[in-house]
Amino acid sequence: MIELEVDLGGLRLKGPVLAASGTFGYGTEVPLLDRSKLAGMVSKGIFLRPRTGTPPARIVETPSGMLNAIGLQGPGVDALIRDYAPLWASWAFPVFVNLNAESIEEYGELTARLDGVPGVAGFEVNISCPNVDQGGMYFGNDPVAAGRVTAAVRRRTKLPVWVKLTPMVTDIGVVARSVEAEGADALCAVNTFVGMSIDLNSRRPRLANRTGGLSGPAIRPLAVHLAHQAARAVRIPVVGVGGIVSAEDALEFLVAGCAAVQVGTATFIDGGAIARVHDGIAAYLASNGFESLEELPRYLPRD
Amino acid sequence: MFETSAPLVERRQVAREVFVLGFEAPEVAEAALPGQFVNLLLRPGPLLRRPFSVYRAAESRVEIVLRAVGVGTAQLLSLELGDRVSVLGPLGHGFAIDPGWRSLALVSGGLGVAPMPITAAAARRAGVEVIWVHGARTAADLCTEWEGERAAWATDDGSQGSRGSAVAAVPEGVDGVFACGPNPMLAAIAERWPDAQVAVETYMGCGTGVCLGCAVPKRAGGYDRACSEGPVYRAADVDWPALPGHLHYAVGV
Ligand SMILES: Cc1cc2nc3c(=O)[nH]c(=O)nc-3n(C[C@H](O)[C@H](O)[C@H](O)COP(=O)(O)OP(=O)(O)OC[C@H]3O[C@@H](n4cnc5c(N)ncnc54)[C@H](O)[C@@H]3O)c2cc1C
Ligand SMILES: Cc1cc2nc3c(=O)[nH]c(=O)nc-3n(C[C@H](O)[C@H](O)[C@H](O)COP(=O)(O)O)c2cc1C
Ligand code: FES
Repeated sequence: MIELEVDLGGLRLKGPVLAASGTFGYGTEVPLLDRSKLAGMVSKGIFLRPRTGTPPARIVETPSGMLNAIGLQGPGVDALIRDYAPLWASWAFPVFVNLNAESIEEYGELTARLDGVPGVAGFEVNISCPNVDQGGMYFGNDPVAAGRVTAAVRRRTKLPVWVKLTPMVTDIGVVARSVEAEGADALCAVNTFVGMSIDLNSRRPRLANRTGGLSGPAIRPLAVHLAHQAARAVRIPVVGVGGIVSAEDALEFLVAGCAAVQVGTATFIDGGAIARVHDGIAAYLASNGFESLEELPRYLPRD
Repeated sequence: MFETSAPLVERRQVAREVFVLGFEAPEVAEAALPGQFVNLLLRPGPLLRRPFSVYRAAESRVEIVLRAVGVGTAQLLSLELGDRVSVLGPLGHGFAIDPGWRSLALVSGGLGVAPMPITAAAARRAGVEVIWVHGARTAADLCTEWEGERAAWATDDGSQGSRGSAVAAVPEGVDGVFACGPNPMLAAIAERWPDAQVAVETYMGCGTGVCLGCAVPKRAGGYDRACSEGPVYRAADVDWPALPGHLHYAVGV
């Protein structure tokens, strides 16, 4: 029996594989998964108020990847507390809520609403949101704004706070350090890359939103590099995300310095992807003579 | 909902460039209802699954009908008998047949014929008379298979049946109307029969309600998921101008 337990900034997880935000709904939608292998899940991104989302077309397939522009469609925090948190409270794995807001105050208010609600195990702060107060610039592109958002959430909860980093930055280490300094318990790297695809028949963007977020295997080497850069820059654990389909993909992130991983797009194709990745990690460790994930050697030269 | 590795067991041509493929998938065949779909995964193949209406489901076999419009459909049509694909399904909410109806028109344009044979069989089992109405560009594009008590054909060039659209070929006085085809055709159905049930098409990421990629704009505001609340809608409930009708590979008439 290979020991796959993970310590994530004080939180014990039963394995290293989590479900990524926006690819696991509110935990009720994904079919055909052996949930005993799921270490935890992050909810679809939630705002304080309901959001209708962007008009279709919302997704388009690209080489080894997909672009999405869902526009954070969601029922708002009240419906989440009423309809989903009570279910989560009885589940055997922790559920993190993916927090989204257009101002620092709103991030704080959202955290205060959710803190202490049974079923909510912690928070993943999505900082890839436009900062309305600052002309729509993204919080995540600005180390100072990213730090302020982290502080606003941290102040209102004792639960674990993870911050989900955007890849659309010049130096992810700078943002990672700023967020660490404001009290984040862990970092998740990375969110989707902004991309665009053109339909040559209409000679217009394929997505009604013009741009979308690129995910899937197409981004994996980019994501491994960014997660590694983030892990080098901070002492808190990093959760690797981006293009994981197989156990080998997940192991690349783990060796590159991540404490755990999230699986996203792969779940759309195969509801059982997370369980497969979990089992494959155990098999790799066993066949390489390790008894636990902790024994896996990491490649992490420090900055 | 089931996921199964299913071998190709049947392939036959039903119109110019249009083929029916049959896969051995007993649980899916057993559970499939009219208007539901399956989501197929090819490995090696494109990243995402590809959605197809269930054309027929009988004797442990699920049939779909398609034409090559891109990488996935081309690869499906190049499969040899015995080759396997992953079949996920049945998915979505399909047509609701009212056993109180005396007659039901099944109206299809081009590949919109896809959900109609399974629906015709179910309606007839419920004692409802089926009027098969099918249109295409020209006679060679009409699906040669049909099921019902009566049939009406329409072609754009008048080479078979009436000249013009399938919508115009629907007889007066039917109790129910089910339709599938290009979105502009479905919008025309909505004008004439607001209560008609129509099967729409959108891009899909997952087919199971997770990704919210398959948004169908509703007249009442907001979006539904074509894969979960749909793909069949009351015609007047869809905000047709806001639903992209420009999918270039359009499963066209
Ligand atoms: C519920 C439903 C039922 C369908 N039933 C049938 C059917 O019975 N017969 C049939 O021939 N076609 C059907 N389609 C359309 C079919 O899924 C697409 O034609 C097919 O996915 C195209 O794949 P491709 O790789 O050949 O094209 P590509 O252009 O290479 O596909 C690129 C991407 O776009 C998506 N896509 C492309 N065209 C469509 C489309 N028209 N609708 C939705 N997604 C699309 C693909 O899934 C893929 O993600 C149905 C679609 C839906 C949503
Ligand atoms: C359809 C879709 C919706 C997503 N929604 C969110 C979201 O609400 N919040 C968030 O932080 N990330 C969201 N993501 C990003 C994923 O959580 C993940 O970071 C990204 O997809 C890369 O991982 P992958 O390649 O394994 O999918 C979404 C991704 C997809 C594909
Ligand atoms: S296709 Fe993913 S929610 Fe409908």
